[in-house]
Amino acid sequence: MLNYETILSRDAFLLSVELRLFWIIALAYGLAFILYAFHIVTRAIPAGKAARSIMWAAAFLHVLLIIFRTFEGGRAPFQTLYESLSWFACMTALVYLFVSRDLKKVYLPGIFVSGVTMSVSLYALLSRTPAIDPLSPPLKSWWFEWHVIFAFFSYAVFVVGAAIEASHLIVKPFLKRGYDRCLGFTPGMMDKFHKKAHRLVAFGYPLLTFTIISGAAWANEAWGKYWSWDPKETWSLATWTVFTIYLHCMTLERFKGLPASVINLAGFAFMLMTFLGVNWLAKLLGIPSLHVYAV
Amino acid sequence: MQESLKKRFFNLPPNVCTGGWLYKKLSSLTTSIYVLGLMAVFFVIGTIFPQGESFSEYVKSGGGFTFFVENLGLLDLFVTPVFLILSAVLLINLAVCVYDRYAPLFAKRVFQRGFSPDKTIYLTHGIAGAHVEVRRVLKEDLGFKLIFKDSEWIIMEKGLPMRLLTWAYHAGLLLCFFGLVLTYLFAFEDTMTLSPGKLQPISMKEPGRVQSLWKSSHTDRSFGLSLDEFSAEYVQAPRLDYPKDKLSRLAMGLGWKGREVALELKDDSIAPKNWRSRVRVIKDGVFAEAHTIEINDPLRFEGYTFYQTGYEQKLKVRVDASPILLETKTGEEIFLPGIENPLKFGDLKTGALYRLDGSVDRLIPFTTVKQARDANGPKDKRSYDDLGRLEQDGSITVDGRRITLAGIEESAVLSVRRDPGVNLLWTGGFITLIAMALRFYGGFYTAAYRVMEADGITLLEVCLSTKGLWTNRESILRRLEYSLTRDDLKLTPLPDDAG
Repeated sequence: MLNYETILSRDAFLLSVELRLFWIIALAYGLAFILYAFHIVTRAIPAGKAARSIMWAAAFLHVLLIIFRTFEGGRAPFQTLYESLSWFACMTALVYLFVSRDLKKVYLPGIFVSGVTMSVSLYALLSRTPAIDPLSPPLKSWWFEWHVIFAFFSYAVFVVGAAIEASHLIVKPFLKRGYDRCLGFTPGMMDKFHKKAHRLVAFGYPLLTFTIISGAAWANEAWGKYWSWDPKETWSLATWTVFTIYLHCMTLERFKGLPASVINLAGFAFMLMTFLGVNWLAKLLGIPSLHVYAV
Repeated sequence: MQESLKKRFFNLPPNVCTGGWLYKKLSSLTTSIYVLGLMAVFFVIGTIFPQGESFSEYVKSGGGFTFFVENLGLLDLFVTPVFLILSAVLLINLAVCVYDRYAPLFAKRVFQRGFSPDKTIYLTHGIAGAHVEVRRVLKEDLGFKLIFKDSEWIIMEKGLPMRLLTWAYHAGLLLCFFGLVLTYLFAFEDTMTLSPGKLQPISMKEPGRVQSLWKSSHTDRSFGLSLDEFSAEYVQAPRLDYPKDKLSRLAMGLGWKGREVALELKDDSIAPKNWRSRVRVIKDGVFAEAHTIEINDPLRFEGYTFYQTGYEQKLKVRVDASPILLETKTGEEIFLPGIENPLKFGDLKTGALYRLDGSVDRLIPFTTVKQARDANGPKDKRSYDDLGRLEQDGSITVDGRRITLAGIEESAVLSVRRDPGVNLLWTGGFITLIAMALRFYGGFYTAAYRVMEADGITLLEVCLSTKGLWTNRESILRRLEYSLTRDDLKLTPLPDDAG
């Protein structure tokens, strides 16, 4: 049987390895962000390509980091905000890289995605504690892993959807003015990008629906009440409502252009509030939240 | 068909009642968009003001906009008439949409004539043979089935029934909504504190909204719960020694500072692992069921559900050698004779302790003792001095008096709830999720084609439309072309040595 000193020094060593790796990943996201910015300023294709390659490397390392943390903690690494941020950044990078396979020479969405993954990683590293605490009793549930996995998967999909939507909105005025190419976009690609953003939201929407229903089912098992208008619950419902509006807008001719794009970006803002802003808001206003463990 | 359904819905001919306009509005997607937009605004406002808090507490905690908060009921926003009316409009909108789109699911579909082809494939078959071969490939190789044909165009489709799935997840949401309504009207809940060995009947102080109107008491004395044992488990949780300021963390992360993270284990480094209440259900004086209630594992009995929400701990303390034991609850202040400022006892830790090395011990029950620095002023603003740890049968000296922890008693605090909306909600949620996942992720193809002859050449013109994320239009067109032309002679370059 190991003595306490051995266990504690082993765990501290593993944690320091994990932190080093996470710093490398965060810096790699930062480097990708700089290269994407360089590409936008200079239009240099190799810079865009290099940025995407670095994103691939960072995402690969990030997957290893998540696996490492899972073994280190002996449980799914989603309990604290530090862990959720890491998982969210990893998922966002992976979803973007998957989607960017057919973006060819368009690198503009990458600056948004690398910006988000870098900021989120640095926020985790600089402002949250990496301590591996035991699972609190309410989290010991079958729902815990699935609820969190699907929540952050949907968030990651919405980030990429918003990045593509924003890129298409930024470039559109230039192409309308008669430019035949702008940052890899051509006039013929506009509709494709708007549809791609729609497809991403359509992919994330059932995941978000599952998140809300599974959260309610879990709350019903743990606290006896499936809905309590907790700030996080309410924001997630607001986010779901905004994306519902977006999906309906995309079926109506008069809303499916700019109004739908704006609502998609509003959905992204709501999603950020659900994930991060609500903690800040609850703290600022002194509103108690059942999701305190996620703060 | 559609007209008659509408008539049945409003029970009046559409040209007589206002239903024509109203029905159109209520079944319109634009209405849904505006109502959902208003709902989103309400949700956001509901997160700014603490829901369920009393107005006096809100003012006491320094809340702003008191005029609006009080007059608009912003602390109970989700039961205000405005929100309830808005919810009702959304419910009616959803119900009308579901109703309105039900009949077309089974109605004969009318297809437009004339399609602009996505692909033209040149065939080597004669016109009659080509018809047969195209139909065979679409049916046997690609899994399409015939749904319509006229003298020119033939329409075939394959995949999931998308319109039915779209309808099904809207109907699922409608069921969820009805579940919510049932909960809002009929659900009621309460908390009960179970002390060991005492039978407690089920009594609801707060009945549901509708039951309140009926003045029904909601006391069910036909059965009760008896607590056999309440137990807690703890686990050792080392504390992380890690810099709090961002610059030190940055320096550490970038390797500019040699310091490493460290973990330390102190006596009080323990965290709760689980709480359990072993209870027996006694019905009409006879044992009916035994269950161990844990968080995430409630007891369900005759429509009631019992949840582990917490515990209550009572401590019996002796001052010096006094034969009288004084009783207090953990977390509450108590004035003890001969001690100027009140004392407060922390959570009692008792039960099993899972250690880091894998061993399990029984904790010697202990609590922590704090003393208020000042006995005057509001309780919630007092600051306390830590006086240390007090074990069962152990003592601590405060202001020259010996305080002994002479006894402990733990009770389980359960929440009890009866909610007739839950089953409907989960049924609706399940239907919604399944239908939505199939609709969004599944695939559906409609192919319209015609085979024609021009200048002695047989042509196939195909128009293919898809629905769902997992569809691949190009792949279907490629496979169709390959299957129809794989046996054709292909032009190939001659070998180099052929001359």
